This record gives sequence, structure tokens and C-alpha cells, in this order.
Amino acid sequence: MTRMNASQNTLDPDDDLFDDEDTQKDKYLTFRIANEDYGIAIANVTEIIGIQSITEIPEMPDYIKGVINLRGKVIPVMDVRNRFKLPAREYDERTCIIVAEIDGTSVGLVVDTVNEVADIPEDQVEPPPKSKHKGGSYIQGIGKIGKEVKILLDINKILYEEELETLSEAAQGV
Amino acid sequence: MHASAENVEIIHEFSIEVRDLLEQLEPSILELEKVCNNELAQESPEIKEALNNIFRLFHSVKGSSGFLQLNNITETAHVAESLLDRLRSGTLNIVPAHIDLLCSACDFTHESLDYLDKHLDDEGMADKARGLIDSFQKILSGEALPAATGSDEKGRENEAEGPFSSPGISIDLEQEPDNLKNPKIVEFFLQEANELLQTIEQDLLLWIKTPDDKELMNRLFGNIHSFKGNCGFMNLADPERLSHTMETLLEAVINGLEVDRSDVADLMLGHLTAFREVLDDIAAGGPGRIIGLEERLAPIQEFIQLEEAAGAQSEEQQPKLGEILVEEGIVSQEELQSALESQKSRGAHIKKQDIRVSLEKLDTLINIIGELVIAENMLINNPDLAGLELENFSRAAQQMNKLVNELQEMATSIRLIPVSGVFSRMNRLVHDLARKSKKKIDLQISGESTEVDKSVIENVVDPLTHLIRNAVDHGLESPEERIAAGKPETGVIRLSARHEEGDVLILIQDDGRGLNREKIIATAKKRGMIDGDGSLLSDTQVHNLLFRPGFSTAEKITEVSGRGVGMDVVLQNLKNIRGNVQLQSNPGEGTTVMLLIPLTMAIVDGMMIRVGKSLFIVPILSIRESISPAADAVTVTPDGHELVRIREHLYPVVRLHTVYDLSPDNYELDKGILVVVEAQGRNVCLFVDEIVGQQQTVIKGLSDFIIKTGNVRGVSGCTILGDGSVCLILDTHALVEMDKTAEMHAR
Repeated sequence: MTRMNASQNTLDPDDDLFDDEDTQKDKYLTFRIANEDYGIAIANVTEIIGIQSITEIPEMPDYIKGVINLRGKVIPVMDVRNRFKLPAREYDERTCIIVAEIDGTSVGLVVDTVNEVADIPEDQVEPPPKSKHKGGSYIQGIGKIGKEVKILLDINKILYEEELETLSEAAQGV
Repeated sequence: MHASAENVEIIHEFSIEVRDLLEQLEPSILELEKVCNNELAQESPEIKEALNNIFRLFHSVKGSSGFLQLNNITETAHVAESLLDRLRSGTLNIVPAHIDLLCSACDFTHESLDYLDKHLDDEGMADKARGLIDSFQKILSGEALPAATGSDEKGRENEAEGPFSSPGISIDLEQEPDNLKNPKIVEFFLQEANELLQTIEQDLLLWIKTPDDKELMNRLFGNIHSFKGNCGFMNLADPERLSHTMETLLEAVINGLEVDRSDVADLMLGHLTAFREVLDDIAAGGPGRIIGLEERLAPIQEFIQLEEAAGAQSEEQQPKLGEILVEEGIVSQEELQSALESQKSRGAHIKKQDIRVSLEKLDTLINIIGELVIAENMLINNPDLAGLELENFSRAAQQMNKLVNELQEMATSIRLIPVSGVFSRMNRLVHDLARKSKKKIDLQISGESTEVDKSVIENVVDPLTHLIRNAVDHGLESPEERIAAGKPETGVIRLSARHEEGDVLILIQDDGRGLNREKIIATAKKRGMIDGDGSLLSDTQVHNLLFRPGFSTAEKITEVSGRGVGMDVVLQNLKNIRGNVQLQSNPGEGTTVMLLIPLTMAIVDGMMIRVGKSLFIVPILSIRESISPAADAVTVTPDGHELVRIREHLYPVVRLHTVYDLSPDNYELDKGILVVVEAQGRNVCLFVDEIVGQQQTVIKGLSDFIIKTGNVRGVSGCTILGDGSVCLILDTHALVEMDKTAEMHAR
């Protein structure tokens, strides 16, 4: 991809982008994992921090790396690579944690690199492909910027989908 | 009255103010009891003062509520005043009925305030107010209350002083208040009953599928019990009786009655239809009777060959249940009140300069200070400064450190409130229970100025209520029994609190009959909780049986206590705040229950341990000792369990590296350290590499997301260390449990 900006390890939360409901519409924070570009709605993002030491929590799914201390607040960290069942990769100086907040719960997402905040209008978003692949359900749509393609993720599903599945599996098992 | 924006503010202020007044009221009202007990004469200065005090307080309530045109509260306060006026002038002698009536006036005002907070007026309380005013009028006009009959002849004679009625109050000629006629209560009842039935129905359906699910059965039992209670409160004899029978059958099944469980569930499902018909009937204004009740009861009784006596008993105690529920309602109101109350103790009548601060702001402040402590640590121990000679910096750093510590101490102390608020509530409870059980009880309170964190104290209210009830119901004997045993007629319950090594100890002592070891063992055997004749069990072990779910030794089942759903709840509540319960008892001399609760839930004294590269905190409260074992002290059982002999005892070993999947420095037990922890009266040894040291630990909850996503066991929370990293706090209760399940698997 062309527009990679490695120095963008921190985004100032006071940036205009975060101020107004209206200006957040159609804006996505894009990041890269393996060789794909992804995006999540900027409204869910609180901040971006560099990788830091993570305390493991026993008996968690492998994609939950543990918890970190975010200015006195303990938040869980999920490795999006593991979440998508992609091969693991050593964390480096480009590795970032995107702190997202959904319904008052903050979760850190480990991604390879953060790219930029992109404006993708609704008419440039295609519905997600009907895929039988498990990851298919995490996809909210496919956004297009010129020739580039960004996979837009449904953050809620990324966080909670597996839980629903195991719950329903458990219910079937009874 | 219509509430504008500024009125809302005024009403809110009013509500808080009156709640404060009410809190002072109750102890004063209970003072009057001394007259009834012939301890003090009505003319004595103490009682005069109490009466004046109560009069003044009611007068204040009347004044402020009159200003806000809250007519129901005003009128109730007014009639209370009229009654007090006559008690004061001596034209009426104090009888228990007066005290009850004044108490209900307090309760009514409480309830009205709750209503006021929600609706900003007190119009919905009109019916209740009328009922209450009516009762006051009856007493004032010389007519004795039904409750007062037979309680005091002398009082009755003196009441016949001619009619007295205060001007400006409409006297409702309707008979005493009936819950079924109060639309508000009926509405609440119907709503809750319907919800309960729905839950019961779902659970019954689930039960057919999983007949052996103990937890489910317990839940069913609890819900049917609640339904029964609600029906009792509404004086619905038929559904109450049917649900009581269902409850008894269910209990028998839980205790191992051999029946086809799906048949039982089917039968009960059928009865739910009957209950629903009753609810519909009540909604339409009917009396709520069950058609063909006997036919419905018969098959259940066949199941258990239930003696007629049990059924009769439930009817006999019906009014009692109603009262109890009212009282339970009161308890929760007072909890509400306590959420609003400032740090006010009964002893602290002197006005202090207080301001009300929302708990949220306070918590934020404490959080920020917690972060400040960490930031300070990171600054002073910054690696960039390592090896530098910085004399001035060091001095400044020391000063800063001192200030931050003071700040932290101060912040923690802000949240501490004296236990007196909760303790004085027990006065009322004991008063009511004594009346109900016809026992004479003296509640002695001490150490009420002991301070505990607000959130901790809130969690102690329920257990305390339970334990006081137990003490009255099971502990203290009837006056006749006491005299026969050579004890004073009046039983004593002592409630005290004190600080003990960073924790708070609350003692509930009674001088009753004590715990009956034989009876406990017999019951435990009957319930299949122990093998053998139990003669080898230590007293502590026997007492611990009481904390198991579903244990009860009460000879007769009452609706108050005795179903054995009490003590396990007490233990659970205390575990939630990382506290503990212990029992001590001497037959014939009484029982002491000790509640050990942490001063605050925000900080725990912790011991940091290391396993491989990971650090953990173990709460010091649960650590007994730590040893490095000799190689020959370790025994391995044939099924691979490791036991360590420490002095005369063998303790199982829990290898933390196995539990948390870590690589330790050593795998051999004699090369590491064993930390002996105790939970629920059991000891286990945690195998660790190193004990790093003791430290005050600020507790942070694990994220909700973690709890939802994974199956976290053995971790109760986490904390942030000086270097900013997160460290997990071990949950010793869960680790002991884990060892237990491992044992079971091994068998």
C-alpha cells in the first residue's frame, strides 16, 4: 500500500476529528494486518498507543493477550491477528494498540500498523461478501478509496461474536 | 402540586432533610418503650424529653411538607403531633400500640419520600395516609386499635377520655387499610407476581429436561418462596397455601425424595395456571380464590404424604408473614435512605459542618490519587535518573512522597462512615422481632463509631439483619425457658464493632441456648452432607456445616427463618466484600458470630509472590504461614496428589505454575516456597518461586469484557504496580475450591 505513515503512532484525541458527531460520520481509522487494509468507525476509537507490556490473564482465549494499564485504568487487549486466525508475528515498533470503546467498555486492539483516518462516503461502501468463512461475519462492508480497498470491520462483532457462538453451542449441547 | 425546575431542587432538599429527621426519630420513639417495660415512668424527665424530641421532629416534618403542599405527609405528621401532645400532657398513657403507630408514621413518611423522589408529589400516598390517619383518629378518640387489644388494659381505660378530633382533617370512615384495596399495591403485586410466575414456569420447563440440576431446584424453591411471601402479604390464603405446599414438596425433592421429577414439574406447571387465574381475578377486582383448591393440593400431598399439620401451620402464621414482608420493605427503604444519608452517627447529635458530595465524584478523586501515586513512583524511580547525584531532587522527591501518601490516606478516609447508622437500624428490627416472637430482648450496642468504607457497610446490612433474626429466632429462648434454665428473663443480644489489624470485626453475641452440636450433625447426616457419625469433626467443622446451602435445623419451619437459606447467603455476601464469618458457641451460654470485614474494598494488604516471570498478589488476610519444605515432608498419593506435612497436619499442594500455565524456576517442591493459605476453613499450600514482599494494593476490577469473554478462575482482581505494569490478585477461595474439584476428579 502506498499511504503508510509509520510515524503516526499516536493520534491526538483532541483533534477536531473527535469533537463533533457530524464530522465523525463516514470516517474510518484504517490499519494494516498482514497484507490487508482494514477500517473501523472513528466514533469507536478513543486513542492509539504504542505496544506496551501486557499482563497475561489465565484461561482466556488465545486472542485475548491480557490486560494493560492505561493511565490507571485496566483494559483488556485483543490481538486482531489471532482473532482472524492469522499467523502470529513479533511485535515491533510499528505495532499499535487501538483503544476502542463500545458501550462504556474499553478494549485495546493490537494491529500491525495504523495508517490514517480515511473518509469513505456511504456510496463508496459495498455490502460484505457472503462468505462462509468465519471472519466473514466481522465485516461490515468493503470501502473503496479510488483503487484501494479497505475492509470495514464491525467492532461489536469482533469483540463479542465468539461469545455468542460458544453460548449457543453450549445451549445446543444441553 | 406541580413541580417546576426550581421546585425539583427544593423537593430534593426536602427529601434529604426529612430523611435525616426520620433517622433521629426512630431511636427516640423506641425510647418510649421503656415506659411500656416499666423501666421509666411516663412523667420521668427522660421520657418527657423523648416526647418533646419526637414532637419537635414531627413538627419540623409537618412544617416543611406543609410549605411544599405535600398534604399527605403534612396530615400524617399532624395527627402524630396530636397523639404526642396528649402523651406529653399525660392525658393518655403510653402503650405499645402508640409506639407501633408512631413507627408506622415514620415508615409512611419514608415511603412517601421514596414516592416523592420519583413522582415529585405525594398524591399516590393518599390511600395509605388516610388509613394511617384513621388509625390515629381511632386511638385519639378512645377507640383501641385492633393491634392494641389485650396488650395493655390500663392504656385502654385512659384512652377513653372522650372524642378528640383535629380540625381540618377528613376522617375516612373506611375500615383498616387492606392491601387488596390499594390500587398501587395491587399493581405492584400483580406485576411482580406475573414476573415470578414466568420465571418459575421457565425453570420448571428446564427442570423437566435436567432433573438433577441442584442449582435450578434451589432457584425454583427461592422463587416459589417469594411468590408465597407476596401472596401472604396480600392476604391471599388460597394461593399462599398452594405455593407453600409446592415449596414443601420441592424441598423434599431437593433433599432426596425419590419421585419422578418430571411428574412433579408437570404437576407444578398445572398449578401455575391456577395462579394466573387468581392474578386475573384480582386484576378484575375479585377476591383471588382458587377454585378446587383441595383437589389441587391432594396430588401434591400424595407425593409427600404431607401431614395436615404443615398446611394448618402455614395458615396460622399467615398474618405474621404479612408483617414481616412489610418490615422487609422497610429495610430496603432504609437502605435507600442510607444511600442519601451523610456521615451522621446516632451519637453525633452535635452539628458538624458537612457537605454532600456525590459518590461518583469521590471515586473519581480516589482514582486520580491512585494514579498520582503510580505516576510519582514512575517519576522518582525513573531509569533516566539512575546513577545521578541529585541532592535537591531527592529532597523534593521525599517531600512529594510524603504529601502524596497523606493525600491518599485522606482520600480513603473520606469514604469511611461510622457503622452507627446500620447498627441503629437493628434497634427497630429487634423491637419488631421481639414483639412478634413474644421474647424479651435487650439489644446492647457498642463501638458504633467504628468507621468502615461506605460500600462495605452497605454489604453488611443484609447479613447483619439475617444474623440478628437468627439470634432472636433460634438463639434466644422464650422467657419461660430462660427462667427454667436459671437465666434472667430478658435475653441479651450484643452488637459491637471494633478495628482489628486493618480490618473491622463485628460481633453479634446472644446469651441464648447456643448451637446444638448433636442436632447439627444429625441434620447434616440426614441431608447427606457428612459420612460417618461425625464424632471426629472439630467444632469448627461442625459449625461450618451451617454455612452449606440448604441447611436448617429449625424444629418447625417458619416463614421468617429456618429454611436454611440464611447462613449460606450470609457467607456469600461477606465473601463478596472479601470478608469472613466465624461462629463460636457454648451450649446453654449463647452464640457469637464474628464478621471480619475489610476496612475498605479499594485497598488490600497484599503479599507479592513470584512464579517464573509472573507476579501475583495474595491477600495477607488469607495467608497463614509460608515454609520451604524439607524433601521428606512431601507425600505423593497414589493418584498423584501432593501433600505436605506441616507439624501435625497434611495440606494439599496447589502448583500455581500448573494452574496458570507458567514456567517456574523450579519444579521440585523443596526448592521453592509453599505459602499456606486458608479459605472456608480449609488450608492449601500454594507453590511459588519467591516471596517478593508485602505491599498495600489498590484494587482494580478486571474489565467486564474479560469476565464475559473468558472463564477467569482464581483471580479476584488486579492492581497496578509502581512500574505501571498490571499484577493479578489471587482469589484464594477459588484456589481452595479448585483443589477440591481436583480431588473429586481424582476419585
